[in-house]
Amino acid sequence: MIKKIMATGLAAGLLVAVGTAQAAEDPIATRQAIMASVGAAAALAGSMMKSEIAYSPVAGKSAIATMNAASHSYGAFFPDGSNASNTKAAEAIWDKPDGFAAELAKFNAAAEKAMAAAGKKGPADLDAFKAAMGPVFGTCKSCHETYRKKN
Amino acid sequence: MKKAIVVLFALVIIAAGVGWGLSEPTRLSETEVSALKEGDPGRGETVFWAGGCASCHAAKGAKGDDLLNLGGGLRLETPFGVFVAPNISSSQADGIGSWSLVDFANAMTHGTSPDNRNYYPAFPYTSYARMTSQDLGDLYAFMNTLPAIGGKAAPHELGFPFNVRRGLGLWKRLFLDPEPVIAAPVSGVQSDTKLWERGRYLVEGPGHCGECHTKRDFAGGLVLAKWLGGAPAPTGDGSIPDITPVEGAFGSWSAADIAYYLESGFTPEYDSVGGEMVHVQENMARLPASDREAIAAYLKAIPAVASAPN
Ligand code: HEC
Ligand code: HEC
Ligand code: HEC
Repeated sequence: MIKKIMATGLAAGLLVAVGTAQAAEDPIATRQAIMASVGAAAALAGSMMKSEIAYSPVAGKSAIATMNAASHSYGAFFPDGSNASNTKAAEAIWDKPDGFAAELAKFNAAAEKAMAAAGKKGPADLDAFKAAMGPVFGTCKSCHETYRKKN
Repeated sequence: MKKAIVVLFALVIIAAGVGWGLSEPTRLSETEVSALKEGDPGRGETVFWAGGCASCHAAKGAKGDDLLNLGGGLRLETPFGVFVAPNISSSQADGIGSWSLVDFANAMTHGTSPDNRNYYPAFPYTSYARMTSQDLGDLYAFMNTLPAIGGKAAPHELGFPFNVRRGLGLWKRLFLDPEPVIAAPVSGVQSDTKLWERGRYLVEGPGHCGECHTKRDFAGGLVLAKWLGGAPAPTGDGSIPDITPVEGAFGSWSAADIAYYLESGFTPEYDSVGGEMVHVQENMARLPASDREAIAAYLKAIPAVASAPN
């Protein structure tokens, strides 16, 4: 079970890399792949925080690294005109670009700090992991509140 | 569709003008008044978060302690025009600091002001009408402890006929009904009746979940047959999800998933909450865990509303 979930986390990290290659052709699919990897990393992190699976520093670092990679690349995939179909990205991204940039910056700052706290081997125990990941989790909602629509 | 809503709502209001007697604002009965007593501010704080008052009456984007500054001013855009949330702080001059508990309870459960005017249902008193007199007394006591904020909010921006408050009397006759929406838990679902009833109270009463998650008819009344079955977003961007136990959709969330979402903002797939639900979730996170479990128990044992919202 733990192995399987760790694998999901690592695969999620890889998705970020794959996404970048197809970016030019399909920014919507790319950014959705990135956010899907963020969701998978959050699932790995949350399951450990809820003690549904045992904590491991490698898995902790994998989740944090995925968030960090995503927070660096995500903002590049919202070109004008990519707000048409098949996207849950809200009009506000294009109407209020400064606000969206500010949310991205908060996400990026929190993820970089978590990455620094994770060190080489990942946060040593669950409490250290919660302390590092907590602020990253805190940035999801405020961006989704204004910039992501449901359906 | 929006146009049709406006036209028909206008007809209702004009009809209301004709039936002047029927549009007389209603108030609490004497027995109800005698049941009211000023309560405990500590308990009232929980009622305050359950009721989500700060989501409309605090400043836009307020966080932390600023949520307790109820100076109003937030603009609520609707097909009928823009409503501006009033100042309900403890200021004597600009807020509701001079109100008695009876004034407060009449506003919350009858949508009637101290000077006998009808309130617009943008103030969700159709849900608050289900609140107990104990909770109203506790909430009143808590609100008296909050800061007095000076300054009145701007007036609503409504065209004729929506600016005629009197007409709302008939609307209230049609749609203001404090009876429970769902009489009993759906049979066959394992559920602790006491817990389910607490969940019903929170969802149908103070939590006013139905005001967003249930679609409205031509006159702006909730379609109770489709209770919590989802609705188009009031702003027109996206839609508000169905939160009834439909198989393959929200029905696949366990009670624990629902309670965790209300606590943390994460769905079972670890998507993060968004839109107007962010405020609601943050309010729910302030309630005792048993209240979130109660809401989950209720949502698991209500009729499933299958059709897609439109
Ligand atoms: C800077 C803004 C921003 C931040 C921060 C953010 N998201 Fe998102 N998220 C979005 C947008 C925009 C979409 C919709 C993208 C689309 O459909 O084109 C989305 C979509 C998603 C999805 C659905 C992906 C899919 O399958 O299409 C998930 C899951 C998700 N986010 C999880 C998270 C989590 C968890 C966090 C916090 C760790 C987070 N998001 C932080 C903007 C953000
Ligand atoms: C969805 C937004 C919304 C929520 C949530 C909300 N209100 Fe209001 N409230 C309004 C609006 C809009 C008005 C103005 C109604 C009118 O002018 O007819 C109002 C009016 C009032 C008034 C009358 C004020 C006056 O000066 O006459 C009181 C009292 C009040 N609200 C209390 C509350 C309390 C207590 C809560 C929480 C339990 C609450 N409201 C939650 C939108 C809201
Ligand atoms: C102000 C409007 C509003 C109110 C009031 C409201 N909701 Fe929501 N709710 C939403 C919106 C909008 C969403 C979609 C959230 C998103 O975009 O991530 C939602 C999503 C949800 C979801 C997640 C459903 C899914 O499939 O993702 C649940 C569960 C939920 N609400 C429960 C409640 C409960 C319980 C209450 C009452 C305590 C409530 N809501 C009150 C607007 C509201």
